[in-house]
Amino acid sequence: MPIGGESHGNQRPSVGEAGGAHAWPEGAETEVVAERGWWPRPESLPFGGLRFSFGGSVRRRRRGRHLEFLQTPDFPVNHEESREETRRRQQYPTPLAARITPAGMGDKTWLPFPVLLLAALPPVLLPGAAGFTPSLDSDFTFTLPAGQKECFYQPMPLKASLEIEYQVLDGAGLDIDFHLASPEGKTLVFEQRKSDGVHTVETEVGDYMFCFDNTFSTISEKVIFFELILDNMGEQAQEQEDWKKYITGTDMLDMKLEDILESINSIKSRLSKSGHIQTLLRAFEARDRNIQESNFDRVNFWSMVNLVVMVVVSAIQVYMLKSLFEDKRKSRT
Amino acid sequence: MAGVGLGPLRAMGRQALVLLALCATGARGLYFHIGETEKRCFIEEIPDETMVIGNYRTQMWDKQKEVFLPSTPGLGMHVEVKDPDGKVVLSRQYGSEGRFTFTSHTPGDHQICLHSNSTRMALFAGGKLRVHLDIQVGEHANNYPEIAAKDKLTELQLRARQLLDQVEQIQKEQDYQRYREERFRLTSESTNQRVLWWSIAQTVILILTGIWQMRHLKSFFEAKKLV
Repeated sequence: MPIGGESHGNQRPSVGEAGGAHAWPEGAETEVVAERGWWPRPESLPFGGLRFSFGGSVRRRRRGRHLEFLQTPDFPVNHEESREETRRRQQYPTPLAARITPAGMGDKTWLPFPVLLLAALPPVLLPGAAGFTPSLDSDFTFTLPAGQKECFYQPMPLKASLEIEYQVLDGAGLDIDFHLASPEGKTLVFEQRKSDGVHTVETEVGDYMFCFDNTFSTISEKVIFFELILDNMGEQAQEQEDWKKYITGTDMLDMKLEDILESINSIKSRLSKSGHIQTLLRAFEARDRNIQESNFDRVNFWSMVNLVVMVVVSAIQVYMLKSLFEDKRKSRT
Repeated sequence: MAGVGLGPLRAMGRQALVLLALCATGARGLYFHIGETEKRCFIEEIPDETMVIGNYRTQMWDKQKEVFLPSTPGLGMHVEVKDPDGKVVLSRQYGSEGRFTFTSHTPGDHQICLHSNSTRMALFAGGKLRVHLDIQVGEHANNYPEIAAKDKLTELQLRARQLLDQVEQIQKEQDYQRYREERFRLTSESTNQRVLWWSIAQTVILILTGIWQMRHLKSFFEAKKLV
């Protein structure tokens, strides 16, 4: 049977309107209490865990370092303005950056010589294509065909921390073997047939190897997502902040504070909008989960009814056949 | 590691050696091994109008010296990017070290595939090619040193710009999430309906079949003068 969702097309509700009949929860906290406490895993569903492909995977992706440094300031936020801003989101190039003028170069009569040099040299020093500096957090999603094993390596310095998180997104059974080895070849982690996992190791110098093994499966290929988070990388962390070398001028205090406040206000209103959207999504997700659970119950119930009807019908058949023969004998004698 | 003459600055020398060793083994990023005809694909699920930058570097295994050469001139990698509809967005050949960029126009799973273009078997005598790969998505793809220099930004301005880019990316991802959730909801509801209707239909069919069977058998027996 074709999945009905495929014919839906590419319509996306814009941020300003909530799709369909769903009201925008203005300020109100929408507490959603999931009635059932358990989430049925695919293996426990009937029909042996038949999974439909919905054309998109559910994934817990952690790009979590975005909001670390943000604290919610106590600025009054104008909700009217925030909705206006949202509606104009599409025509929002970088207005704040355009409005924030750099410190008046004419006012400064003296600039330190190294800064002048650095300002003159950027085209040469800018990191180009040759020799890239890889980031500290990286994630990859790949397809692992049936019966194969794939390994990745990560060079590490001394006393850094390596955190690896993996998840199986697709593929019957949703499980994979995971193996993590130190540079000397010693096995640090060996997990079999798990669907997700998180491991953190304190590292020594060398290349750490981690492998995903799908050899136990003969027909199903798996889609695996893994994420590496590196900490305390030492000299490399310094390099990541090298944009500091390219800044020019200093910040003036008098006029700029308003601009800063304005941009912070805008950020706060956008983040609270994000919070609202997240609450909405949480509600939708809970509702979808409940639909699936009621689906599960319904399948169970109707299958039972089916079984009972079959048994009853066959019993009636047998009884009626027998009664046909008995009547004949009675009439003869 | 061969013992280099360590002078009085023993600690610094050791640190320098460690650094050197790291540099010798290459960039400090993730790498994997790939065979000659092997194709490795990675999936990136991204919202639309998002820029993706990928950097890679290859090293070839030298069988005689049993070590990876620092670079492989003459060896190229073919990069192919497909959008969620299967259409090819980027299909180009790069050298042994390269950088590819593309911007998504439809949200969904984009597939990035890499395979080497080597035709000469001699090049792959050991059968292994080490590929260092790094993929940056969205605001991670922005080159802030370049932006800072071009727009002449101060530190605070640059930080504000970074914040704005980050929040914009979060907003895009959330829009994409809503779109995905809507599709998921439609599929769930249609599945729900189909299960219900099929079960009812099955029950009705069973009952009808039972009745027909009984009638047919009864007329059969009557015809054969058994009843």
